[in-house]
Amino acid sequence: MPLNIDIVQVLLHMLNFVILAGGLTLILFNPVRKFISERQKRIEDQAAENQKNAEEYIRLKEEYEARLRAFEEETATARLQAEKDAADIAKKYIDSSRAEAAAIIAKAEEDAEKRKEQILDSAQTEIGELVIGAAQKLLSETATPERTEELYDAFIKEAEKKTGRKEKRQ
Amino acid sequence: MKERKKPDKARRIFLIVWLAVIAVLIAAILIIGLPRKNDESLREVMRDGVLHESNKIALFGSTVNPGLISAFVVTGVLLVAALLIRLIAVPRFKTVPGKFQALLEKGVDLFSGMARNNSPHKTGFIAAYIFSAGTYIFFGTLFEMFGIQAVTTEGRSVALPAPLADINGALAMGFLTFAMILGAGLIVNGPKGFFRALKDFSLPISMSFRLFGALLSGLLVTELVYYSFALSFVLPALVGVVFTLLHAVIQAYVLTTLASIFYGEAVEPTTKERRGTKP
Repeated sequence: MPLNIDIVQVLLHMLNFVILAGGLTLILFNPVRKFISERQKRIEDQAAENQKNAEEYIRLKEEYEARLRAFEEETATARLQAEKDAADIAKKYIDSSRAEAAAIIAKAEEDAEKRKEQILDSAQTEIGELVIGAAQKLLSETATPERTEELYDAFIKEAEKKTGRKEKRQ
Repeated sequence: MKERKKPDKARRIFLIVWLAVIAVLIAAILIIGLPRKNDESLREVMRDGVLHESNKIALFGSTVNPGLISAFVVTGVLLVAALLIRLIAVPRFKTVPGKFQALLEKGVDLFSGMARNNSPHKTGFIAAYIFSAGTYIFFGTLFEMFGIQAVTTEGRSVALPAPLADINGALAMGFLTFAMILGAGLIVNGPKGFFRALKDFSLPISMSFRLFGALLSGLLVTELVYYSFALSFVLPALVGVVFTLLHAVIQAYVLTTLASIFYGEAVEPTTKERRGTKP
């Protein structure tokens, strides 16, 4: 053959390469490619899961924010209502306290008036007794039957005057 | 101060030894001379570099080109390395890869991506094929840099060349790739796919000779540089390494790209099928 071409050697070269290609494919290429594709799949799965988690996170966040907003609105409404209720209750208490205070004051004034009258009555009685005592003392010292009768008359007149003024006042 | 003196002294000793070794080697070369120039003419060297007619190696009672031995050695080394990687490195793969794992994944991903881009309809088989072909061409081309010696039937010692620097190896690669494309077209699209791939009948020839020619050109330039005594110091190392690395990368890329593109065309669904598959 020209150019030193030898068919047998060409075939031997082919056989040699076929053995090499098969061996390299089975021993090295396929395992490495399998490893790469498995890792790729793992990474893609992980990325998909991350995406899913991110979406879930966003959904939960939105839900939480919505709930928070609703809760805040509810809280604000409740606070307003509570403030209104508190104001009503306070007003009621104040009104009832005022009424009670007014009643207490009125009763106290009434009691005070009664007490004053009692005091005045007792004072009049005491004064009368004192006056009688003093008069008795004076009479015992300077008493004559005429003078005694005169004094009694004067006292009775005076007592009648006072009793008449008191009845008028009542 | 004492600490500084130590490295200076070591460096001086290293330089003296290095220059002495170089001087001894140059003297030895000058004394012994280069017998090669007298043994073979430039024409013979170039012819043997291209055709490997004279330097044959015995194999199982027959004589074969050194390139075939290189092919067997490369295949053996690659399979053993793959097995070790499979048993030791692959079970320890982590989600966040280390340097070696990243390199392996990059290699696999490079050819998988190339298959996806050039043959989007069927990627599984072509990805494995071009991974194997790319690995074989890359490491097979780098293999010649090691200069592993073999004994010819005439008792000479020859450095084993790249497997694809042998025209038989290049033809095998080209025809095998074409056969793979034809077979895929036939399996996926029936006779239509087969004939569609067959119309590019020049493909195996162009693939083979592109590989062969590209690798050979580097080899010939290196041979030329070696042939000249004046140029045989330092320069061959640079030229050889640069040419070899460039060829390793470029040829692996070119063949795998062409194979995946032609494969993609062969397995591409026909117009009717595509219309039928439209939603």
